[in-house]
Amino acid sequence: MATAVGAGAAVVLASWSGQSVRVPDVLAALEDIRRSEPLPSTRTSVLTLVLLADRAEEAARAGAALHELGGRHPARAITVRTEEGEPGLDAEVRLMGAEVAGTSLWFEDVCLTVRGPAGDHLDSLLEPFTLAELPMVAWFVDRLPDPDDPVLRAADAVLVDARDLGEVECLATLADVASSSVLLDLSWVRLRPWREQLAALFDGPALRPFLDGVRSIEVSGKTGPSHLLAGWLSSRLGTPGRFVHLVEAEHVGVHIVAEHEGRTGHFEVARPGGERTVRASVAIEAGPRSDSVVVLPEASPAWGVAEALSDLGRDPIYEQSLDAALSIAARSHP
Amino acid sequence: MEPENPLAAGLAGDRHAPPCVLVVFGASGDLTSRKLMPAIEQLAQRRLLSTSFAVVGVARTEWSDEDFRARMREAVKDAGPEWEHLTSRFRYVAGDYAEATTFDALSVVLDELDDELGTAGNRVFYLATVPGVFAGVAKALGDRGLAQPATEGGFARLVIEKPFGHDLESARQLDVDLHAVFTEEQIYRIDHYLGKETVQNLLALRFANAIFEPIWNRRYVDHVQITVSESVGVGHRGGFYETAGALRDIVQNHMMQVLALTVMEPPVTIDAQGIRDEKVKALRAIDVLSPEEVADHVVRGQYDGGWVEGEEVIGYREEEGISDASVTDTYVAMRVRVDNWRWAGVPFYVRTGKRLPKRLTEVAMQFREVPHLPFSAGLAKGLGANALVLRIQPDEGITLRFGAKVPGQAFEVRSVSMDFSYGAAFMEESPEAYERLLLDAMMGDPTLFIRSDEVEQAWKVCEPILSAFADPTFPVARYEAGTWGPDAADELLRRDGRAWRRP
Repeated sequence: MATAVGAGAAVVLASWSGQSVRVPDVLAALEDIRRSEPLPSTRTSVLTLVLLADRAEEAARAGAALHELGGRHPARAITVRTEEGEPGLDAEVRLMGAEVAGTSLWFEDVCLTVRGPAGDHLDSLLEPFTLAELPMVAWFVDRLPDPDDPVLRAADAVLVDARDLGEVECLATLADVASSSVLLDLSWVRLRPWREQLAALFDGPALRPFLDGVRSIEVSGKTGPSHLLAGWLSSRLGTPGRFVHLVEAEHVGVHIVAEHEGRTGHFEVARPGGERTVRASVAIEAGPRSDSVVVLPEASPAWGVAEALSDLGRDPIYEQSLDAALSIAARSHP
Repeated sequence: MEPENPLAAGLAGDRHAPPCVLVVFGASGDLTSRKLMPAIEQLAQRRLLSTSFAVVGVARTEWSDEDFRARMREAVKDAGPEWEHLTSRFRYVAGDYAEATTFDALSVVLDELDDELGTAGNRVFYLATVPGVFAGVAKALGDRGLAQPATEGGFARLVIEKPFGHDLESARQLDVDLHAVFTEEQIYRIDHYLGKETVQNLLALRFANAIFEPIWNRRYVDHVQITVSESVGVGHRGGFYETAGALRDIVQNHMMQVLALTVMEPPVTIDAQGIRDEKVKALRAIDVLSPEEVADHVVRGQYDGGWVEGEEVIGYREEEGISDASVTDTYVAMRVRVDNWRWAGVPFYVRTGKRLPKRLTEVAMQFREVPHLPFSAGLAKGLGANALVLRIQPDEGITLRFGAKVPGQAFEVRSVSMDFSYGAAFMEESPEAYERLLLDAMMGDPTLFIRSDEVEQAWKVCEPILSAFADPTFPVARYEAGTWGPDAADELLRRDGRAWRRP
């Protein structure tokens, strides 16, 4: 009898674990649990997703996000954590099931704990687990990758979060990675509502001309996201860095002052404290005024990852924004 | 021409509505609250509307702006704060469509919105009304100068809902009336089927893959079955349905569109002209039946009482507002010939009906048998011809049926189905049909709207059947609610040595 797959969240259909095992043992276990389970549906994986985490709690958090994601965006997920200790490999393999819009689907979840020198050659460990013909994405869950990390060579795309930068100097590391790999950034994904609202403020013949007369741009927010947004505005508008001002704040916000035909316009996009909304407003001196409210997407990591994975190609606008962010950071922190 | 917005690059920029006002005639009606407002709310939630956007409702009902806003808020359940915010700028004009004062008042409100919000004189007029007022409203808009863009580079568009006429003659007259005020490029005729993702997927499947198109022809396809079935009856729409029937309600529009997308040649480009030119060519290739042929190629059916989805239901003639002697078609099955190089000799069996066992729409390509089956007959009992089924609704996806060896010592082969479900492969939630179509209308993309020559050609195909159905002596095949239609429809295929598939 087929194992029932619960609606919504993914459930474990079957599992296997072993300590001090070899890669062929894990591959055989994957095959075994798949065969032993009378699956009611087909596997519909769209990629192999590798999670690399230093901290166990971060790996667990990201793994939970993946289970949520699996129901929408099935992938073979491989969580890899390196540890100090006697060389060896511990593994856990799980077959997960989920129901999406009445359709049962299943996917695999592999957790690997690596000790010893193999930790420096994770690419060789991961390659046998990748699904044929499908892209492999490496998600650095709690740190930025070293540009020389061999996993970057094996991956078709690298997923990071600029919010993890810590120091503004780390923007250079991101730019290094972006120069050789397709870089997906969760911060960039989360900034999308701000970018969309800013773009929408200048729609139409009455407002579009103000983009040619930008006098100042103030971007508030945390290190990383605020730099990216400032870099985006500066690179898209060709605005010299001296017109761009950064302000440290809890939430991202932008205030642009622009002029056209002698009239001044104020264009603002901000997230009011305590609300999960973005408010955009435009006020033209002796002219139209309008505003809009959009609700921010859910804050779950699964949402951000799902959005980031929807396009695995290079994003030249992100890369240009990153380069411009570096210049702005250099002015702010010479 | 307005310069590009550099901030929109890489965003939904090319799929984002420009500043505009949506004017909805029939604003107090069912279509507005059930379909249009939820679609607008979804567009707002997906951040696809301009900051400079407003809705003006027009209807006879004596509502104030505040009444309209409150009703529209109620129309969308579980809406977020953006809906509350957006509806606060909705306006309402109460008045009769035949009165000049209604349009004077509308004109004033539109000017006010342009000044307040910077909507730049851009308008989309949506006629969510009975078809009888289409021409009158269009003329009144023309008389007030509202049919022309208010600013250079701006736009004024007219969106109308099916039915586009009652028959060929009335469809032509409607076009004459509308074209007296609006150009064809300004008119957007909605068939919401074209807004469905899976209908559009027909194009993706055919023209984005190298493996399907080479076998999409008479050499490999034995026949095609298209089913549009509904489990519901006519409900409270009896009055309307008596004047329409399944042929007018489904075949002339939805079914002809799905058929055209199935048989059309590859377009040069997936844009309005590319697709619509090919659809018209496809519709022209459909053989128009002679009056003598109708009885042999078409079955008219009407449902009796029965059981559907576990509930006992009444027959059509027992429904509210239906005469005991009604001969209205609640079911139509047809054998369609497509006379062109690609499809000559391949029958297309199409059927649609109410009170069928379940709601679904699908296109099933049944392929020819292999020229020689090298297995003994006893071992290939479970083997059927290959089939490719495009499930349009509700379980959107593709099923491919092919033969496989049954595990064991003998070389027994049996048909197996390989299912692909769109929902399992894409994380993006598909937009509702109206959401997509409203956005397209605001953006000025007519690709998924029906051009006048398509409407006319589809009516030409239906015209001899309408004439036959107008004759009360044309048979009305009875079928029990909850079955797949009358025996006469089965006989239609049996005569060709075929049978309807069980969807």
